[in-house]
Amino acid sequence: MTVATVESGWARSWRKNVRRHGWTLGVWLLLVGLMVAYAALLPRFGAFQITSIAKNSLPLVYLAIAQAVIVIAGGIDLAAGAILVLANAVAARLMEGQTFPVTLAIAVLVIVMATVLNGIVGWIITVSRVPDIVVTLATLFIFSGVALLVLPSPGGGTSEGFRALFTGSTSGTGSNFVPPLLSMAVPLALVAWWMRRTETGLSLYATGSNRVAAYLSGVSTGRAKVVAYAIGGAFGALGGLAALAITGSGESRLATASGFTLRAVAAIVLGGVALTGGIGSVVGAAAAGIVLFTLSPFLSALGVDPNTAQMIQGVLIVVVMMIAGIVELRRQRAL
Amino acid sequence: MTDALLGPEPTGRPTWGMWVSDHPQLVLGSVLVLLVVVTGIIEPRYLTFSGLRNTVLLAAPLGIMAGAQTILMLTGGIDLSVGMIATAAAYVAANQSPSGAAIAITAGLLVGVAAGTVNGIGVGLFRVNPLIMTLAMSAILLGLFTALSFTVLQGSTTVGRLISTLGGGSFLGNRIPYNALVWGGVSLLVIYGLRRTGLGRLLYAVGDNPTAVRLAGVRLWQVHLAAYAIAGLLAALAGILLAGRTGAVDLQLGVNFVLPSVAAAVIGGTSIFGGIGTYSGTIFGALILGVLATMMTFLDAGQAIQQIVYGSILLGLAWLYARVTSSS
Repeated sequence: MTVATVESGWARSWRKNVRRHGWTLGVWLLLVGLMVAYAALLPRFGAFQITSIAKNSLPLVYLAIAQAVIVIAGGIDLAAGAILVLANAVAARLMEGQTFPVTLAIAVLVIVMATVLNGIVGWIITVSRVPDIVVTLATLFIFSGVALLVLPSPGGGTSEGFRALFTGSTSGTGSNFVPPLLSMAVPLALVAWWMRRTETGLSLYATGSNRVAAYLSGVSTGRAKVVAYAIGGAFGALGGLAALAITGSGESRLATASGFTLRAVAAIVLGGVALTGGIGSVVGAAAAGIVLFTLSPFLSALGVDPNTAQMIQGVLIVVVMMIAGIVELRRQRAL
Repeated sequence: MTDALLGPEPTGRPTWGMWVSDHPQLVLGSVLVLLVVVTGIIEPRYLTFSGLRNTVLLAAPLGIMAGAQTILMLTGGIDLSVGMIATAAAYVAANQSPSGAAIAITAGLLVGVAAGTVNGIGVGLFRVNPLIMTLAMSAILLGLFTALSFTVLQGSTTVGRLISTLGGGSFLGNRIPYNALVWGGVSLLVIYGLRRTGLGRLLYAVGDNPTAVRLAGVRLWQVHLAAYAIAGLLAALAGILLAGRTGAVDLQLGVNFVLPSVAAAVIGGTSIFGGIGTYSGTIFGALILGVLATMMTFLDAGQAIQQIVYGSILLGLAWLYARVTSSS
């Protein structure tokens, strides 16, 4: 369904866009192929399975979008997973036993908090001139430490309405796939449109592609970076809220934070975002997030045990990256 | 050599910033001494041989792993698989322990070299981003060894006596830990290697300007391959020492060392972009993190506070470096 809405936008200048967005298109085709194969494997494939994939991949998809926006602007956020965990912990702590309207207000508050917090991280990076990877390594420790202070052990809760918002059912499991798909597609469409069609959005691409050239052309590169990190923070918080809606309780371990960060980085690279900045799109990153998530249920449906599945995932990422590396090398030699 | 790499000789009146950038080791040493003294004030028993011994015992595996990280960061790379390589090496060493310590250690180290070499092939030959390559290697090793721990490696959770002495024992009346001796040997080799050998100089050069190095006729992939293989070897060594110290091997053995190993190198003044840094700085970084960990234990601060303090120190020192290097 998301595929259809995105592709109709591209249909206008099909050929040019196929060339320009070849990788993104490839990832979406891979996703469709994976879904078809998965559906063929299972004895029953219906609304329940679609809902399950859509809602459970939400946290990783949001985090991949967060990481993509930041990496496109020339940064990298090792603390993205920590933002997710922090938002998850704070929300779980505050939302326990509250009514739906209150939880909604808390959700907005948490998103605003994460936006401001990560905006400050972006500001620190611009002002201090410390590499992004170092600053966010530090904030990974700090944010997950604060999360652990807020929620020392797994727990907390949320309202039933809030769970339905992301998962489509008040208990977190059900067959209503409209809410999870909408909560994936709407923010994705918004940020994708914003990145390609607004001045600020394009300034992220300019900054990530060549900071000096962008600066000399009058782009406020510092502002672009702060904005990128702020939006990354907002999507990280969305990821934490979605995780809360899925499980119904919060969790705050450093290992969860770093694990999420690393999977988000893998997702964006698979999704065609260059870690050097300026290249790629959030749409590709989101698709790769779903692919990465779906691989494990797919492999287990194939009868592969989880440990081998993990190896296969790793090997797959390496192979895709090696192919991409060779293609890039060929292209450079051809020039 | 370091001074030449840090930039041109500053002219004019010496400032505080210049002094700091000219003597990074002194600054790190002062921070370390300050932390030791503060810890001593908190817990007077700390300022004894056995108190300080514990810090070194904690810092040695981290320091060796951070050595791997330093070597790679000098080339502009990074290794997020050091933790899993360490775990893998510890498992294999535990598995081979019945056949004698020499064989066990050699087998463990070979695992590290093998994993490192694969990392090097990916980064050097196929130009895979180091973050992704080593991340994927970490996932592959985790899957592989989780599976193996149920089959071939089942029951291989303890290491031989020599390894546990090497990793956790002390000599001279329980004053100096053996793993400090190993760390010292590794340190001398790495410092000598980075300063005096062709490969060491190439590591700096590759990180500083890969294009210039390539045009000078160096095959970049060979340098990367060597660097990642050496890093794998060091990570494996750290893993074996760690297994000896904790006495038991499990899948979580090395995982908590990955980010601190990067942090130790960064605190020690190694640039994540490559070309700048020394192993002696990293040694200070590892010791500082070790003292901090001890201090936190004495203060009875929980995991949460410890993470926040780690992060703040890392950010503060990195900011100080950035200010110093940009002002001189």
